[in-house]
Amino acid sequence: MMRRQSAARLFLGAASVLARCVGSAGQGLDPAALLKPAVDSWPTYHGDYSGQRHSPLTQITPANVAQLTLAWAFQTGQSAQIKATPILVNGIVYISTPDHLWAIDARSARQIWQYRYPDNTGFHIGHRGVAVYKDSVYLTTPDAHLVALDARTGTVKWNVEIADAKKGYWSTNAPLLVRNHLLVGVAGDFDNLPGMLTSIDPETGKTQWIFYSTPPPGTPGATSGGATGGQMWMTGTYDPELDLVYVGTGNPTPVLNGDARPGDNPWTCSIVAIHPETGKLEWGFQATPHDTHDWDASEVPVLVDGTFDGVPRKMLMQASRNGYFFVLDRANGTSLRTFPFATVNWASGIDRAGRPIPNRDKEPARDGRLVAPNEGGGTNYRSPSFDPATGLFIVSAQDSYGIYFFKPEHGAYGWAGADYGVFGRGFLRAIDYRTGAIRWTHALGEGASPAGVLTTASGLVFSGDSSGNVLALRTSDGATLWHSSIGTVGNSPITYELDGRQYVVVAGGGVLFGFALPEGTPPS
Amino acid sequence: MNLEHALALIVLLPAVPLAQAPGGREAEPPGQSLFAARCGFCHGRDAAGGESGPDLTISPLVAKDVGGDTLIPVIRDGRVDKGMPAFALGASDLDAIVAFIHDQKKKADLNPGRRRSVDLADLQTGNAEAGKAYFNGAGGCARCHAPGGDLAGVATRLKGLALMQRMLDPGRNRGQKPNPAIVAVTTRSGETVTGHLAYRDEFTIALTDDSGWYRSWPTGQVRFSVDDPLDAHRAQLGKYTDRDMHDVLAYLQTLR
Repeated sequence: MMRRQSAARLFLGAASVLARCVGSAGQGLDPAALLKPAVDSWPTYHGDYSGQRHSPLTQITPANVAQLTLAWAFQTGQSAQIKATPILVNGIVYISTPDHLWAIDARSARQIWQYRYPDNTGFHIGHRGVAVYKDSVYLTTPDAHLVALDARTGTVKWNVEIADAKKGYWSTNAPLLVRNHLLVGVAGDFDNLPGMLTSIDPETGKTQWIFYSTPPPGTPGATSGGATGGQMWMTGTYDPELDLVYVGTGNPTPVLNGDARPGDNPWTCSIVAIHPETGKLEWGFQATPHDTHDWDASEVPVLVDGTFDGVPRKMLMQASRNGYFFVLDRANGTSLRTFPFATVNWASGIDRAGRPIPNRDKEPARDGRLVAPNEGGGTNYRSPSFDPATGLFIVSAQDSYGIYFFKPEHGAYGWAGADYGVFGRGFLRAIDYRTGAIRWTHALGEGASPAGVLTTASGLVFSGDSSGNVLALRTSDGATLWHSSIGTVGNSPITYELDGRQYVVVAGGGVLFGFALPEGTPPS
Repeated sequence: MNLEHALALIVLLPAVPLAQAPGGREAEPPGQSLFAARCGFCHGRDAAGGESGPDLTISPLVAKDVGGDTLIPVIRDGRVDKGMPAFALGASDLDAIVAFIHDQKKKADLNPGRRRSVDLADLQTGNAEAGKAYFNGAGGCARCHAPGGDLAGVATRLKGLALMQRMLDPGRNRGQKPNPAIVAVTTRSGETVTGHLAYRDEFTIALTDDSGWYRSWPTGQVRFSVDDPLDAHRAQLGKYTDRDMHDVLAYLQTLR
């Protein structure tokens, strides 16, 4: 841990302030708080278990959002771009980049402590965020370790290896906490590695169970047709009533060589429902059977309760990287509807189970195939949001083409092929999940925007474009109401209310920005 | 794997010369600069394939070579029928180049899961006659391009994958060349300014004017139009069949 000179004194000062202002200060985070997060917190990656990224806060409205102004900015001092979702517990924001974690005051951005993980040769591609449990905060690392730190001081409590980095695993994952299970995902596409999700005891660091999406050969239930991969590198969602965790799984390996792994290759490019107590699979649904284009189905499985075709349903929705939108019954994984939400040319139809049917002519070939979408996909890790009032699922989409190559000389290990993006354009799309209609589209510029989406109950959408503008739009029609040019917008903005003031916090490059209405703004 | 992974790898893997250890403080291996100067244009500076030469790290010739017994005759005599010239090099230079190639192969073999490359020979499946017909007909290419005009010698300037990528989207790798899109801005006072598109987002429109200056306006305060010839290329992506794409490439390859 690296302390600045007066970090300890600052911490003591901040703690005493917090103890006065926040009722729950000093209590740590009870896992039960995640069932109904308080508005003065953002205690887990998606904000809550549903993955809707929808806030009940209404101080900032379509009428006053044009007055939004800078409340604070936190400079990481690093060149690494912030891609993580900030986590807010007890008035402290935890923000991370690979090997780095900062605890800052959510009111002022003053640094409380900083932690730096030792130098390592893991893959420093990005970091998605931390998890908090009681008085601990948990950081995954580029060399696929999980570090538990004292959330008050940044002191390391323990450090365990989740997967072997020497084999090619790394982790960017923001762990999902369910009761006393910390679900930690890893990644690794350059080696043929089984896809694994590990449940860790947040008190001790001991492994409770491992779920394999592609069970290693010899394991009971090895059904992946010789495929490895299916890594679960994104944070899942959770239904407390069904007691099921939903996680998207990544592409199979070898990545572009499909001949080496015949069949559908379950459970790669899938949504899986897992029992958090045991790690046993309840059901799986494959978004792309036999993927040959690196289209992970890792995107957020958003949980929505409502009626579908007149029947009350517990639904799961995913705007998937392959360009298709899936509505499932999350009790049993059956498909309710499948439709494209971005430009696609790789499927010849939809099968009875609701899965797109890959067109073999669009598999990577020696002389190249022009495929929509490109490797980056119709969308990606950037979070979507669901607005319950309008029933709109709002996603940062991309219409794109890429060229895909494979020849036997490329082999059957790791990438096993070559592909190149050609051109793409980004769009925010508001999808009516009942019909597949796109209610509105907001152009975001050339290429995919890195920004995710946040909606609020006042009828606002916060997101960002490909040019480094953070945007506030009207949810009903996508009209722009406010923007600020802050640099590359890192994933989804979050929002919280402290001392009666609503903040919208969003990363631009290596800086975290807190926006709010001017102090003293009368309630609208 | 996510988009960032993809982007980072596209940027990182080809850009990190295989000859250098991470950190890059190592002394330059003998043969590296020689290889870069004499062989790199076709085979890539890292020997992993370039515009027209195959990836030597997966070459069967390199695999069976022992101390230059196969490679040195090839380098010295060339493979003229396949487009490789002969190189008049001294024995020590030849040895250094062979050692560098083997070194690169060793390093590549340590990273078997890496992204692979495309060889010129892979991209010869199209029919040039059919491509010419598409160029002049359904593809609409002839509306803007002329084989004896702007495209004269294009197959000499660009080969293989680079030519294919430029054909699909000429907006990439333009270097310092001005954006071909022309912007006309009419300000509130009625003045009209035209120039090459310099920047555009939802809130700002900018151009480079005739004297080379960057000028920008808030989009909400002016009227403007953008005439972008690349729009036709982007629209074509949804119209090409794979056959069309390979045929047009074959036709362009005849424009030497």
